[in-house]
Amino acid sequence: MTLGFTLPDRFGSQALGGCYAPETLVQPLLDLEAAFRSALLDPAYLAELKGELRHFVGRPTPLTPAPRLAAQLGLKALFLKREDLTHTGAHKINNALAQALLAKRMGKHEIIAETGAGQHGVATAAACARLGLSCTVYMGITDMARQAPNVARMRLFGAKVEPVEAGQGTLKEAVNEALRAWAARCDRAHYILGSALGPHPFPTLVRTFQTVIGEEARAQILEQAGALPEVVIACAGGGSNGLGLLVPFLGDPLQRIAVEAGGHGPDLGEHAARLDGGRMGVLHGCKTLLLQDDHGHTAETASISAGLDYPALGPELAALILDGKVEVRRASDEEALSGARRLCQAEGILPALESSHALALLPALAAEGAATILLGLSGRGDKDLSTYQSRSGL
Amino acid sequence: MNPLLPFLMAGDPSLEALPQLLSDAKALGLKAVELGLPHSDPIADGPVLQAAAHRAIQRGATPLRVLQSLTGITDSPDVVLFTYLNPLLQLGAAELKRLLAPTPVRALLVVDLPFGEEPAFEAELRAAGYPMVPLLAPTTTLGRARQILAERPDPGEGAPFAQRFAYVVARLGVTGTGQGLDLKPISERVADLLPLSSRPLAVGFGLSDPRSLTAIRRLGATPVIGSALVQELAEGRGLREALASRLVDDL
Repeated sequence: MTLGFTLPDRFGSQALGGCYAPETLVQPLLDLEAAFRSALLDPAYLAELKGELRHFVGRPTPLTPAPRLAAQLGLKALFLKREDLTHTGAHKINNALAQALLAKRMGKHEIIAETGAGQHGVATAAACARLGLSCTVYMGITDMARQAPNVARMRLFGAKVEPVEAGQGTLKEAVNEALRAWAARCDRAHYILGSALGPHPFPTLVRTFQTVIGEEARAQILEQAGALPEVVIACAGGGSNGLGLLVPFLGDPLQRIAVEAGGHGPDLGEHAARLDGGRMGVLHGCKTLLLQDDHGHTAETASISAGLDYPALGPELAALILDGKVEVRRASDEEALSGARRLCQAEGILPALESSHALALLPALAAEGAATILLGLSGRGDKDLSTYQSRSGL
Repeated sequence: MNPLLPFLMAGDPSLEALPQLLSDAKALGLKAVELGLPHSDPIADGPVLQAAAHRAIQRGATPLRVLQSLTGITDSPDVVLFTYLNPLLQLGAAELKRLLAPTPVRALLVVDLPFGEEPAFEAELRAAGYPMVPLLAPTTTLGRARQILAERPDPGEGAPFAQRFAYVVARLGVTGTGQGLDLKPISERVADLLPLSSRPLAVGFGLSDPRSLTAIRRLGATPVIGSALVQELAEGRGLREALASRLVDDL
C-alpha cells in the first residue's frame, strides 16, 4: 500500500526519492501533488505562467556564443545559456514564480522558503511581491553574512528574512527550519522549495518548472549552430539547475556533466562532492546520495559557493548519475575562482560562484578533446563580489 | 490506562544517568517511556529538543552508544525508541535487531517514515518484535487514519502498551511547549479517533502543565510530556520530582 500519490515518486534503478515526511506534512504533500497535476492541465495556469516568464522574468534567456574564451581554451565553440540574465539574476526565479502561481491557485497566500546563496530567496520574494503574497525566507547566518546583498534585496521586496543559527548556518539548516515552519502553518502556507530535493512531489515539481532552461537551450543551439554540442555541462547543488539544463538533452548522443563543489580538500567536511563521498541515506524527506558520518548524522560540508554546499544530491539527479546518464565532476574553490576570472576577462560576463564551478571544468574538457560545449550559466556574480574581491586581491 | 508517557532524550543530561531515569520511571508505575535518539537534523522538533539532541551528540551519544547503554537493562518500563529514519537505515535491519535484542526497547517511533516507504525494513523489524508506532497528525484525515492503523496493526490486547498505542499529534508544528494548548480541538479529535480502533491513544505536542495532562487523561488517552520534562532534567531536576505533580489529576 502506498501513500496515494499518482505521479512517479521514485527515480532510477535504486528507487531514490520517496516521501519520508513527518505525518503532519503528508496530507499537504498529497494536496500539493493534486494541485500541481491539475495546474499542468489547466490552460489558464499555463498561459499565466508563460506570460509571467516572458514579461516579468525575461524569458527566453539568450544563448550567448563565447568565441574569445573558446579560442583561448582551444574549443571550436562555447555557448552560454544565460540564466544570469533573468530577472533577479539566476535560474531560481523559474521555479519560484511557477510555485507562487500554484500557491495562489491553492488559495494559500502565505509563502515559506529556504535559501542558501540567497538567489532562491530573492526570486521567491520577488514573485511574492509581484503576486501579492506574504513571504518568509529562512536563511542560515553564515549565508546571510556572505550573501548580504541578497538579504537586502529580499527585505526590499517585503520579505521577512528569518536567521537560522543552528549548525553551520547554511542551506541544510535553513531547510530544517523551513520544514518546521511549514508543519506549523501548513493549513494556510505553501512552502516553495527551491531545489530538486525534499519529499515527493517537490523534486518533480522543481524539475518540471526548471526544464525550460534546457528546452530553450536545445532549440537555440540547433538554430544557432545547426547541431547539438558534444558536451552539456552545469553545476549541481541540490540539482535544480543541473536537471533543468540536462534533462531535455537526455535523449541525445552527447556528454552530460554535473559539477559538484570540490571545496578546499578531499576529507569529509571539506567539500560537497556527494558522489565520491556520499552514501545512500535519507535527509529532508528523500532518499539519495548523502554526505554523512558513520552514525547516519549529516556531515558538515564546505564550498566557497553558498549554493553548492548542500550535503545531498537531489534524488533524480543522483539516480541519473548512478544509472550512467549524467557524469559527475568536481571543481575546487580555487578552480572555480579561476574559471570566473577567465570568463570575466574574455567575455565581460561576471558569473555566480556556483556557475563558476562549471566554467572551471572547461580546460579539462578541452584537453580531453571536446570541441563544442554548451554551459549553463546559472546566475550572475553580483552577489559574490565581496568574495571575488577578497580572493582576487582587487 | 497508562497515566503518562514521558519522553527522555538519550544522552541528556548524560548516558550514564539513563539507567537511573528508567528505574525511577518504573518505580513511578509507568508502563512505557519514549527515548529520543539524538539526530543531527531533527526536522520535527522544536528548540528544546533540538538543543537537547545537540548537547547529547556533543557528549558522544551516537546511536550505537545509546543502544549499548541500554544493553542488559531490565529495571525499566518498555522503551519506545523515538528516532529519525537515517541512523536506523545506516545500521540496517539485521544489525538493528541484534543491537535491540538485549534492551528494553519494544517499539520504534520513526518520525519521518510514513507507512509504505520502507516496507521490507518495517516488516522485518515488526516480525522481530519492534513495531512502528502509528502517528496521527491534525492533518491526517479519518480515512487515512484508518489506513495507518491498518498498515501498522494492533498486535492485540495481550501486547504491552508500547506496542499497541497510536500517537496523536495534538497540534500543527513541531515538538515543544509553546503557548498554552487549546484543549477543545484535541478533545474533539480524540473523540473522533477513539472509535476507529480498540487500541490506546497517546496525545503529545504542547502538553506540560498538570491541568492539560489531566484533561487528556479524562478523554481516555495517555498524555505525553516531552520538551518540558527534558528541559527540567537538563536543569538538574530529578525525574520523580518532575513527574510527581503530573501523575496526579489536577481537578
